[in-house]
Amino acid sequence: MKNAGQLSRRQVLAAAGFIGLATLTGCGSGEDGGDAKDLSKKQNGAMKNYRAGQQFKAAKPLSFPMLHNNNPVYPMKNSWLFWKELTKRTGVTLEPIGVPLSDYEKKRSVMIGAGDAPFLIPKTYHPSEVAFVSSGAILPVSEYVDLMPNFRAKVKKWAMEPELDSIRQSDGKYYLLPGLHEKPKPGYSLALRTDVLDKLGLSLPTTWDEVYDVFKAIKAEYPDRYPFSDRWSTNTTFPVGALHSYLGQAFGVRAGWTYENISWDPKGKKFVFTGATDGYRQVIEYLRKLVAEKLMDPESFTQTDDDAIQKLLGEKTFAISANPQELVQNYRYNLEKQVKGAKIEMVPVPLGPAGPVVLGGSRLENGVMISSEALKSANFVAMMQFVDWLWYSDEGQEFSKWGVKGVTYTESGGQYELADGITLMGSDPEAPKDLQKDYGFFNGVFTYGGSWALVSSSFSPDEKKFQAAMAQRSQLPIAPAHPLQSVEQEQASLWDTPLRDHVTQNMLKFALGKRRLSEWDAYVSELKAKNMDRLVDLHNKAYERFKKENG
Amino acid sequence: MVSVHRPTRGYRVFQGVNGVILTLVVVVTLYPFVNIIARSFSGERHIRAGEVTLWPQGFNLTTYEIVFQDSMFWRNYGNTVLYTVVSTVVAMVLTTCYAYVLSKKHLKGRSALVGIAVFTMFFTGGLIPNYVLITSLGMKNTIWALAIPNAISVFNLLVMKAFFESLPTELEEAAQIDGLNTYGTLLRIVLPLSKAVVATMVLFYSVSFWNSWFGAFLYMDKAELMPATVYLRNLIAGATTGGNAGAGTEQLSQAAANIQAVTIVLTSLPILCVYPFVQRYFVSGVMLGAVKG
Repeated sequence: MKNAGQLSRRQVLAAAGFIGLATLTGCGSGEDGGDAKDLSKKQNGAMKNYRAGQQFKAAKPLSFPMLHNNNPVYPMKNSWLFWKELTKRTGVTLEPIGVPLSDYEKKRSVMIGAGDAPFLIPKTYHPSEVAFVSSGAILPVSEYVDLMPNFRAKVKKWAMEPELDSIRQSDGKYYLLPGLHEKPKPGYSLALRTDVLDKLGLSLPTTWDEVYDVFKAIKAEYPDRYPFSDRWSTNTTFPVGALHSYLGQAFGVRAGWTYENISWDPKGKKFVFTGATDGYRQVIEYLRKLVAEKLMDPESFTQTDDDAIQKLLGEKTFAISANPQELVQNYRYNLEKQVKGAKIEMVPVPLGPAGPVVLGGSRLENGVMISSEALKSANFVAMMQFVDWLWYSDEGQEFSKWGVKGVTYTESGGQYELADGITLMGSDPEAPKDLQKDYGFFNGVFTYGGSWALVSSSFSPDEKKFQAAMAQRSQLPIAPAHPLQSVEQEQASLWDTPLRDHVTQNMLKFALGKRRLSEWDAYVSELKAKNMDRLVDLHNKAYERFKKENG
Repeated sequence: MVSVHRPTRGYRVFQGVNGVILTLVVVVTLYPFVNIIARSFSGERHIRAGEVTLWPQGFNLTTYEIVFQDSMFWRNYGNTVLYTVVSTVVAMVLTTCYAYVLSKKHLKGRSALVGIAVFTMFFTGGLIPNYVLITSLGMKNTIWALAIPNAISVFNLLVMKAFFESLPTELEEAAQIDGLNTYGTLLRIVLPLSKAVVATMVLFYSVSFWNSWFGAFLYMDKAELMPATVYLRNLIAGATTGGNAGAGTEQLSQAAANIQAVTIVLTSLPILCVYPFVQRYFVSGVMLGAVKG
């Protein structure tokens, strides 16, 4: 009897708990913001005739809360000149909510989910904004870009409409103000020990066939070592993410970091499954050849970055993937200290069957989301103008990158020089002050895109050379807009992950020689069993629909 | 009846195998930590070449000097100490009171009170509801956001309850006859007899508060309010995302090589020092709760 009584009490308790939970989750959906397009009551502090190229200055002091990604390399300080000068120029005070870089995304989703998000949510990479669209917590910013003259001017001048179309959702709107680059900025390529090449009478390779020959020659000289051991295999869903990405580009496919299950086939005018394309097979074949002939360290696919770098510095290997920063600060600096006469150089991405191309769509950067709550504020129009000035005007971009002219930098004829006693990323090791740490400029939250002149103004000599070579190449076509509706989106994400996992696992098996390439057809039918065709159909249907509805 | 004086051969073999396995386990668990300590004292060259294993190579203290000069690290370190002490005190007071009350068989609604506690062991409101709750209570950016939600660990509560139940009721009856009220009985009779379990609980709570980072990360909006664990986590993330800017001088590139090792050593040191002293209470404390069940 007693037991029975206890049980029922527990049941009551459990039931109460569930009801509580249900009520809480039910609260999530907010009410509509009334007539969204009537902005006449939201003009507080706004400028009447704000135009592109004009200094934004709020009519009265305003402040906007903003999520701030705290980078441990330059921890946020309230004393930064950036905040003070920004307020002086625009009349706006930003109220940063500091979130550690390590878990920025997590806190962002909790705050948005809880309806506690600040107005401005920068440092958002597409497509992470998609998750918040259906809840209505994020503003469809495309509806309000008429408040942003600088943004529109740049989109028009650099012909970025097709790129913007690629981030539109099924309602035809986009929810993220992306960073805009005038030109794509490829960052990664292969770095090789040039002193070793010189010794062997080899020149820097320009194609992937030459890369193979160079590795072969190094192997002949050092039969007990691997010519090439690579990194960027941990903390990513794709092993050797960087190599895969620039090797894939040479074959015209998106692989590695840039991998997406669905990619656009410009010849067939339809979407295809990336992991089953012929180009992707060739990428795998190439890697397989390197591994099979012991030209590439098989540990490349699993080791940590540190291990890969240690092998390079210990002269166990002679080539590694690089970006200009890593090349200078990590490889060259340490190699010169440890190995006498060592030289290392980064080559422009070697060419392959696709010719001199770079991947399309890389002109969009991470960007700013705006909370729907902001629309209810009387300061909404002023805020949009402010965002437009800070993130999209030439003056705003120059300010957040280089700081205050005459104080932190000098400029003449497009050449930027840091003021005496200020260093940037180790440019002047003796300088007492650091542009990022002590002044708050060159902060990744505000500084990324812009005109090529501005973006390239901070390049090191190595990067200048690399980018000059890469700038000659043409962009591969961008996938047209094909937004999924929310039900389709859910279905697609159910299919996406198992497919992606299967592609990755088999890429490893094929490349490491655990599976024969003659089994490629079997691999493709395995993908079919995991709904590959249905996923492709879904995207093609969405593409047709969007084309019909939006011209 | 197995002879006490002469262990059988099988038993000795068992002990030998046991010893070997346990030594291996100790080596495996201890090695990473010893390696971290060795790295923290090693020179950059040797770290980058992967030569450091158990003993520091090219003894070097530059990174320690750099970290000691970083005011944010000390600020966050101070926060960790403060958060740990306050949270542990709050947790101990609440857990002890709750457990003592639950240990009394004559308490009405006792099983419901146990049920409420146990319920939270299996179900939680979830991340976002919790966040909404803490925010609307105005506890964000205060120490209470960390201390209150974690004040009662159900596991600790049940261990303590079992311990109190195992105390002879005659003792408390005698105390009451001598004129002590409930609080007096708890403070003067029961608690002094429960040092073992109290020490264990203090250890459990303080270690978990010292090591926790998620609560602070979620409810604190300013870097100067974060505990050292968040500082460390961010540092490691920054180093692995290739943001290692600034390695240009001798000093800084030394720091880049082993700053993680140094901070890990500094944050785990205090709790390591406390452990051996509380250890003896710790073993008996957990056992005492367990026998009664």
